[in-house]
Amino acid sequence: MSIEITTLLFFLSLIFFLVLGLPLAFVLGGVSVLFLYFTWGVDSFYMVATQMWGTMESFTLVAIPLFVFMAMLLERTGVARDLYRMMHLWCGGVRGGLAVGTLGICAVFGAMVGISGAAVVAMGTIALPAMLERGYDKRMVLGCINAGGGWGILIPPSIMMILYAMISGVSVGKMFAAGVLPGILLVALTVTYVLVRSYLQPHMAPALPPEERGSWGDKLRAVRAVLLPIGIVVMVLGSIIGGITTPTEAAAMGVLGALISAAVYRKLNWDILQEAAIRTFKLTGMIAWILFAAHAFSAAYQGMGAQMLIEDLMMGLPGGRWGIIITMIVIVFFMGMLLDPVGIMLITLPVFLPIVNSLGFDPIWFGILFVINMEIGYMTPPFGFNLFYLKGIVPPSITMRDIYWSVIPFVIVNLIGMGIIMAFPEIATYLPDTLF
Amino acid sequence: MRLIHAYVNGITRLNIFLGRWVAYLIFVIFLLLIFEVFMRYLFSAPTSWTNELGQMLFGLYIVLSGGYVMAHRGHVNVDLLYSAFSRRTQAWVDIFTSSMFFLFTLALLYFGSSMAWESVQSMETSYSAWNPPIWPIKLAIPVGTLLLLLQGIAKLLEDVIVALNLQPVADTPKSSPEETQ
Amino acid sequence: AQDVTTWRVQSHWPASSSSYEDSLVRLKNVIEERTEGRVQLQLFEAGALFKAQETFNAVSRGILQMGTISPGYAQDKMTLAGIASGLPFAFHNVWEAAYFHKNLGFEKMLQEEAAQYGVYWATDKVYPTEMVVKNPINSWEDFTKLKIRSSGALQKFLDDAGASTTYLPGSELYPALDTGVVDGAHWGAAQGAASMSLYEVAKYHVKPALNIAGTDVIIVSQKALDKLSEKDQEIVKQALDEQFWYRTNEYQYQERVALSKAMQEQGVQVNTLPDDVQQRLTEVAQKSWDEEGKRSEKAAEALDKLKTFLGELGYL
Ligand code: NA
Ligand code: NA
Repeated sequence: MSIEITTLLFFLSLIFFLVLGLPLAFVLGGVSVLFLYFTWGVDSFYMVATQMWGTMESFTLVAIPLFVFMAMLLERTGVARDLYRMMHLWCGGVRGGLAVGTLGICAVFGAMVGISGAAVVAMGTIALPAMLERGYDKRMVLGCINAGGGWGILIPPSIMMILYAMISGVSVGKMFAAGVLPGILLVALTVTYVLVRSYLQPHMAPALPPEERGSWGDKLRAVRAVLLPIGIVVMVLGSIIGGITTPTEAAAMGVLGALISAAVYRKLNWDILQEAAIRTFKLTGMIAWILFAAHAFSAAYQGMGAQMLIEDLMMGLPGGRWGIIITMIVIVFFMGMLLDPVGIMLITLPVFLPIVNSLGFDPIWFGILFVINMEIGYMTPPFGFNLFYLKGIVPPSITMRDIYWSVIPFVIVNLIGMGIIMAFPEIATYLPDTLF
Repeated sequence: MRLIHAYVNGITRLNIFLGRWVAYLIFVIFLLLIFEVFMRYLFSAPTSWTNELGQMLFGLYIVLSGGYVMAHRGHVNVDLLYSAFSRRTQAWVDIFTSSMFFLFTLALLYFGSSMAWESVQSMETSYSAWNPPIWPIKLAIPVGTLLLLLQGIAKLLEDVIVALNLQPVADTPKSSPEETQ
Repeated sequence: AQDVTTWRVQSHWPASSSSYEDSLVRLKNVIEERTEGRVQLQLFEAGALFKAQETFNAVSRGILQMGTISPGYAQDKMTLAGIASGLPFAFHNVWEAAYFHKNLGFEKMLQEEAAQYGVYWATDKVYPTEMVVKNPINSWEDFTKLKIRSSGALQKFLDDAGASTTYLPGSELYPALDTGVVDGAHWGAAQGAASMSLYEVAKYHVKPALNIAGTDVIIVSQKALDKLSEKDQEIVKQALDEQFWYRTNEYQYQERVALSKAMQEQGVQVNTLPDDVQQRLTEVAQKSWDEEGKRSEKAAEALDKLKTFLGELGYL
């Protein structure tokens, strides 16, 4: 059987069982085992077990439960609620004000974490109820969290960039520097979209009625609510930049900050700690089992010869150098719908990079396009990690359909951002060229 | 029928009981990482064991979560089409798709056990500077998978009962009040 | 039509590593050419199918037909792994390690031990592991003040010697070194450090090497080997044997080029450890060797052989 047909059957089975409502983790795991049986034999199931062990040994993943725990504490102690009250008092007059505030917090989160899942779950915990409560449209809220949560891998530090650097041989420092301006660009574009959309359709993100906007006294008193969150951000970011912790360890600083905040709110009691721990366990477990299976899925696909498919696809392409780059991006975009980002990198980059280099493109610029594409992949249906992480945390009234629909405009905004960076490579290359 | 009932309730209780204890590992992981940061930054004396122990406990934490998450119906699925089905149709569909679940968990159980057994035999250690035994963590792979598998069998039994319209199953002790999200 | 055998080969090198191209792709080309296409290698880069630590088991079980590893990843099976992956401050020159492996029979011992697990062991090359640091080490005090990112046996050694060590995954090494979470690290030697961009944030390359050893190994499933015709088996083994000499020599050349490039383009300086520091490190190192000798009779025998050899050279 050719790799083209295997690929088609492999992904069709994935979608088939997904649509039938089997949890994603078991779809990925079961389909992997099924296809390993036909392409490699029973012994290869050993790979599924070793991929699981590999996930258990991944130090960077330790940040996930810690950041989730931090968010749970902030939510249950009322710190998050006060923060949103403050934002509402100050920006409530603007349509979409809270959404913009949320995007701002996402951007800061992006600078604190190097991975994507933690921010989505954390923001889903903190921001989602606060915005729904204030009459925001659920799809607007979900889209913002999905898009903003993905910035963890675009705004440095970023595990994806480090992986890209390791596979491509470019400098990690340059990749980080290259991510800064595109990160700002994407944040700005997303904020613009939210403001325009909510200006045109006020019911999506209503402003606070004038009589509820509060006096200046109210506003100033409410500002106290940001002191603790800012303190936490300073602790986490400061400890990374100041060389006190690695990005993973910084997650523990976040928890420490949240515990201190809880103490200030006089809510540091066993009930809250216990409840936060149990909710954290449930979410982390959900995420981890998806990762176990997703890693097995990518490995199975690579074992079937996925790279040959990419080589075949790249063979004899028309369209000149830009045609080739765009084809690569389209391939990665479609793979992003169905595969996990690390797997995509391992499958495509060894084929793509020599071509990128021989066409005379800057591999750092290509890396940024690639990372944005991965970020989009985290939120494109049917299988985007962020979508499922978010589903794990939303109230039952929000369905997967809502989450799927919510991301469409945000994906388009990201694609526009990617287009701008393609047209003006300096956005990515200016900082690394200047700093190094 | 009563036997099935007892099994479903028993397994669910077991998973929820174990899960609550494993959940507390997050405190230990947090303390270990913070301790390392303080030792390294304040005393310039990083330890060789805290990060590794934290890592090992994290592995334990996530691998033992499968059954607990399933007992709470916490493994996320796509409900686009599924939610439009009747409860009985859902049960039939679930019985069919459980084939994938069992394929996955049985493969994991068999090969995870084989991997763990190899590790136990050689009393495998990590060969880091600290060099702790890692066979207990590898052993947790078949244990965690088994907990998930048992919970999956419970789910299958419930589905069969619903699909065949045998008898409504009383609600499993799914969520105590403080655990609902 | 002739029968074509395709081997799945899992590398422990990322595709950007020079060794992926120079060791693995070279071997693929040699084997495919000499068997006239009867044996084909399908290469997978680091982590694609199996993590480095599981590759030995996968080859041993015959799921993979070939793989590349560091001996350290097979520690729980191979009692000689500790000596193979390098006793600190033992050899002074690369040729000594090569001589020990090939002429004094250490490679044979490794092969015998690996054979118990159905694995054919072939050292890819011997080469040094060297450290890079943010500030030069000019005294024993400078050394003991260091916070070093390390792993495995070298971490234990550096710890025992009085430096502070910490283990971080490779993906966190660059940011940690950049912000000063750690101020030294080893990742191979010059080429390894360059591939991880470490010279951007740590400008001193420490000599002498922490160790010189057969840190890269090619392993072949005996089952897969037995399925080949005798002629092809011979071709594969021959190619592996040649590979050792070819790559050991080539790698030294590449190391020198990488270091000189880093010195010219990134302002890297060589920091030679002061004599007293070297002396004290050697003393600590020699104590750690005995630990490795205790792992098995074979290990004790290998260690004896090594000590005799080093004595002959006048190092002990
Ligand atoms: Na980030
Ligand atoms: Na996706």
